[in-house]
Amino acid sequence: MAVDLGGAAVLRGVDLTVSPGEVVAVVGANGAGKTTLLRCLAGLQRAEGRVSVLGRPPADEPGFWREVALVGDEPAWYPGLTVGEHLELMRAVHGPGRLEVAAALELFELGGCVDRSPVSLSTGQRQRLSLAMALLRPSRLLLLDEPERGLDAAFRQRLAGLLADYSAAGGTVVMVTHDPAFAQAARPVALEAAA
Amino acid sequence: MSAVAPVRAFVRARDHRRRTWSDHYITLVALALAAMLVTPVLVRAVEAVPGALAPERAGAGLALIALLLAGGLVLARAVGPVSVSAADAAWLVLSPLPRRGVLARTLLVLGAVCVAGGALVGLALLSALGTPDALTLRLPASVVLGVSWTLGGMSVAVLAQGAQSWDARLVGVIAVLVAVAVAAAAMSAGPGSGVLAAAASAPVAAWTAAACASAAAAAGLAGRAWSALARFPARAVLDASTRVGLAAGALAAMDPGTLTWIAEDAHWRTRRLRSRAWPVRLPGAAAVAWLDWRRLARRPGRLALVAAAAVLPVLAARAGGAGWAVLLVLAAGALAVAATSTAGARRDAGDPALARLLGAAPRALLAARAVLPAVLGGAWLTLALAGLDLAGAGGSLWPLGPLCAPALAAGALRLARRRPIEHTMPVMDTPLGPVPLGPLRWALEGADIAALGCLPALMAFAGGVTAPLLGAQAVWGAAVLAAYCAAARRG
Repeated sequence: MAVDLGGAAVLRGVDLTVSPGEVVAVVGANGAGKTTLLRCLAGLQRAEGRVSVLGRPPADEPGFWREVALVGDEPAWYPGLTVGEHLELMRAVHGPGRLEVAAALELFELGGCVDRSPVSLSTGQRQRLSLAMALLRPSRLLLLDEPERGLDAAFRQRLAGLLADYSAAGGTVVMVTHDPAFAQAARPVALEAAA
Repeated sequence: MSAVAPVRAFVRARDHRRRTWSDHYITLVALALAAMLVTPVLVRAVEAVPGALAPERAGAGLALIALLLAGGLVLARAVGPVSVSAADAAWLVLSPLPRRGVLARTLLVLGAVCVAGGALVGLALLSALGTPDALTLRLPASVVLGVSWTLGGMSVAVLAQGAQSWDARLVGVIAVLVAVAVAAAAMSAGPGSGVLAAAASAPVAAWTAAACASAAAAAGLAGRAWSALARFPARAVLDASTRVGLAAGALAAMDPGTLTWIAEDAHWRTRRLRSRAWPVRLPGAAAVAWLDWRRLARRPGRLALVAAAAVLPVLAARAGGAGWAVLLVLAAGALAVAATSTAGARRDAGDPALARLLGAAPRALLAARAVLPAVLGGAWLTLALAGLDLAGAGGSLWPLGPLCAPALAAGALRLARRRPIEHTMPVMDTPLGPVPLGPLRWALEGADIAALGCLPALMAFAGGVTAPLLGAQAVWGAAVLAAYCAAARRG
């Protein structure tokens, strides 16, 4: 596949196959097109060539998002809802998922801020909430853009373990990362700048 | 010369955007042009001041003035009137420079705004009460009263920003103004009209004495605020400067919609909430839409304010507003009330990341999200129309309220989901001058679909309520909302 943005080649000749149950870490320098690749897999960016996710072309529609969870830049939090209620909302919409709300709060070390608004949290805590929301719900594919952003070293290790558990349960993970230690447990895929 | 002056002169001397003679010329011409445009309007307003008192008009006018002043103080308390530019906040506030010198410029600007606004308040006061004699004496007294009220109120707001004890007093002033508005509105309905008559027909000497007393009180408060500037807490200035800086940034980028986000986040950032379980019986889209209901339940004060605002159209009608002005207040009020409950749609339109994570279908989600704005907008409109009916300004208009609810919901959702202003759109030449289509389209989005959905109701306002028009409104409003939801896409 290939992607041009504004006349400049962002991705060229990328060929990637990810099997179910795999954790893939896309690495590369700034501007290599890692996030663009992730957006192509999420159906948010048109690409030349063939892109198939879970056996069909990715599309920005409810059926696709019920199986795929994307965590990119910090989302816009719903005003007036607490940390706990954001997780509750996810469970209410998707039904019983991979984790209970209480377990997710404990696992992501958010128990102390369950009644706070996400906008009052630190960057790392907000990132943990984003990841907790994605991992709480049922899904077959996780697309993560720099999930280590804002996280301390200890929690990065824990996250690597959580992703390993996710893949062991049959889920697939494709993540973009700049942390070599974090990428160690995954299959690394190096991207080089197209232009 | 204070120690701040050389610093400012130093910065000015190195500013590459230094103002030229041509900049000064343009500023002067713009001011002259503004004066030429405003003067005839003011002259007409003075000429239109009634000679005799009409209790209905006086009570409603006084109520509107009190509400306007209360609203101004609420805004000043929320924003924090004393703020500086980002550069001053970073380099001058956190420095050994005298604090009063750094903040003096802000206070002078606030003073100028108060004088201009206060003069208009004074004119409005005279216009509400009327002047049986000596207009040339009553007008300056009234203007002094208005300026004193705004200047005094702003001084209390400045003091409240710096000290908690004054904040309690500011809340008290706001409460008194609201009470005055309620009392004046009640008087406009008949009881107590003697008080209004006494105020309006009071001799010129009494007006002058009241103006002098108000001016003295305002001067005392302004002096106290000026003294307080010397030890004004940096924290209060920095917080206010951040808020004003974000707002100014949003306006400079011509994206006023961002202001809603800023205000909303600022409100919830400092609140301690209690997490509650999500209702288990709600299906997917309704579960997502529930967040707006929960958010509404967490702001009962705002809900009470919204309900109380239903009296505004009645006040506008009693204060002598023309039919079209009352209709404008009704339409703007109903749409604004409906739009207060669309935060979820606004967030998902600005950033659909959470909506994708939730995986809800856009059309079903929009339909579920339409319920609350329809309930709120419809209820507010029904209340306001019933008030007009009771006041004798309408003619059994209230049934239109619930029937307009779907159209109001569609308009509110379109308002919440509109994109930032598109500045690449062309500029249209009109007889009144060039009109940029981008901001125009942005401003009309939401109001357009609400007006379209309320067409039968608008016809009923113009020609009277009839059964066929009520039926048409019921079907047409629902059809417009259904069509809007059916055409929805994510974001």
